[in-house]
Amino acid sequence: MSLSVSAYGDIDNIEHWPDEALRSWQAERLTEVVEWARDRVPFYRTLWSQAGLGDIACDSIEDVRQFPIINKQSLIDAGSEWVAGSLARVGFSTRGTSGEPLVVWLSAEEEDVYIVPTIRGFRWAGFEKGQTALLMSPVWHRLAACESHAVVRMGGRCAFFWGSLGLQFAGEFLSTLRTARPDFLTTTAPFILALVKYGEENGLPLPDLFRSVRAIVAVGLPLTPRTREYIRDRLGVSDVFERGGTQEGAAIDECRFHEFGHVHEDVCYLEILDSSGRPVAHGERGRLVVTKLTPTGSIFVRYDTGDIAAFAAEPCRCGCTFRRLKIFGRPESSVEVSGRMITAYDVRLCVENDPALVGRNVLLIRPEKRSSGTLSIAIEGVEHDTVATRSRLCEQFGVGDARVVWLGSIRVAWGFRQVIDGREVGLGS
Amino acid sequence: MPGRDANLFFDVPGATLRFSSSDLEQWAEHLAWCYGVLGLRGGCTLAVQDFGNSPLSFLGSAMLMPGLERGVAEHLGGRFICLDASAERVTLTPALLTQVSVDALVVRADVMGLLDAELAKKARGREPMRMPQMIVALGLDDPPPRGDSRNLRYLLNEPAKMLMAPRCPSCSAFHLRGGFYDLDGAVIRNLRYRCEPFEVPGAEILRPGFCGSQDSGLRFSAGEGDSKSP
Repeated sequence: MSLSVSAYGDIDNIEHWPDEALRSWQAERLTEVVEWARDRVPFYRTLWSQAGLGDIACDSIEDVRQFPIINKQSLIDAGSEWVAGSLARVGFSTRGTSGEPLVVWLSAEEEDVYIVPTIRGFRWAGFEKGQTALLMSPVWHRLAACESHAVVRMGGRCAFFWGSLGLQFAGEFLSTLRTARPDFLTTTAPFILALVKYGEENGLPLPDLFRSVRAIVAVGLPLTPRTREYIRDRLGVSDVFERGGTQEGAAIDECRFHEFGHVHEDVCYLEILDSSGRPVAHGERGRLVVTKLTPTGSIFVRYDTGDIAAFAAEPCRCGCTFRRLKIFGRPESSVEVSGRMITAYDVRLCVENDPALVGRNVLLIRPEKRSSGTLSIAIEGVEHDTVATRSRLCEQFGVGDARVVWLGSIRVAWGFRQVIDGREVGLGS
Repeated sequence: MPGRDANLFFDVPGATLRFSSSDLEQWAEHLAWCYGVLGLRGGCTLAVQDFGNSPLSFLGSAMLMPGLERGVAEHLGGRFICLDASAERVTLTPALLTQVSVDALVVRADVMGLLDAELAKKARGREPMRMPQMIVALGLDDPPPRGDSRNLRYLLNEPAKMLMAPRCPSCSAFHLRGGFYDLDGAVIRNLRYRCEPFEVPGAEILRPGFCGSQDSGLRFSAGEGDSKSP
């Protein structure tokens, strides 16, 4: 069987295809991926054979639901049985936020396919020929590796700052911002939020520094509407777009309406499932399961990312027919209180109802007991209207009690970690 | 001339590197040559723990830079694993070494200590981990390398000067490849990238012809096996 990424050569305007045509095209890609995996990847061959799916095809979108769901640990345990046949040149590591990291392989053919949605997302965010983009390091993530290719193919220039996406490199980032005068910026949301705080604490004229920047594309943390406004206003940029994606192949970009991100359905097929593995209705939350549509690189068929997500219930006003999706968090960025899973995103949304608290880092505090009926959170900075904040938390999340720890002068860097142990802020034993 | 029609800009300590896509080819080939001197062979798996705009990272594969037809991985016919040099990512490296058999791990000198500590922790665990050859990437401001019983190699990497020079396992000097670098007295000129000529304080300058090659070279006083403090 030959590599079938050539199917991507003739899909102009796919983001406007009618749903039926898009699903039919995706089913063809799924068939190729399943055949490829069965032929080349011992892990899937064995798994599917044991599930009685030894020669079952995947002729329609619905057929994919027959295949067992896999997770990261099963791939780590499979080792070379999974990696075999990847034909890939470059490996990236997942962040290891849910335990061990996983090496994911990207092939040149697959990258070529993923550059197309990167260009699409950048076009939605307003990037134009002749502009300069200050980009994340290409070694950070497989989607970041596609970014410089997308910019150059669009006729732009790429600039990179020295260091990594931690606050200790804020000076290097700002230095490049001054000299490169980029029109466009890609970064992580935790980094840009930390940068706002750093700039304000050090009296830096952030709007001046960001004057050339028309749009920021941020990844790594779901943005609340008020956080988006906060970044936009503090930096004086016209627009902030959220980009989503996983090393396992999910790729999501917002259009100008910002309501939910559009899934790039030419590269991935995403499902959102309940705890029994059944699809949830649009608008309801469930677990995000990814199938990559390219039969090359590391193969992911029905991979449970651990993310909590929901599809938008309505089509988008922008005219793109790709389904829209929001990722709200992961189990490790959530706590269970009174039997209910509460994400850090939801808590930020609630806390930010008070304008004075917008832009502050909010961390969930892990309950000491599973049966706890108290939602505990830590908020950066000085105390502000504790009674009203607790009341809002109790009302919104239906919990018996809420506790707020004000971190005062304790410095908390915005990061991907959103749940802490109470002992880290002086609570509990 | 390098830099003309540049569309790729990399801020590195002390300079902004400017390249057009086609300028990168020769540097990827040169870096692959450096790894060859250090003992890497075709088909190897190379992991690089460095920042993304270090040449050691962005020249790693054609897949990482637009217009680059053959990066190091393509020249070596091997695989390249991207490992950012942030502390958060360094702590993940030992776990990755239990999953993938890596032939050589290239590490920035300033995170070597952290990586060492993490590797030692992992080595006490139950999961098998095959230690790769370690290549320490030194900048001009890093102390000269000292002798070490581990399987260490050294690569001089000064991004601002586009200086990449491997330390030869045979003669223990850093080779300045002929055709890429030239000596004018004690001053080194980069022949392929426009930057100011520079000196390397504390290094003995070796003329072309040493070690039976057309390269010139640098030797530091505290070389391999030397017990003196750097």
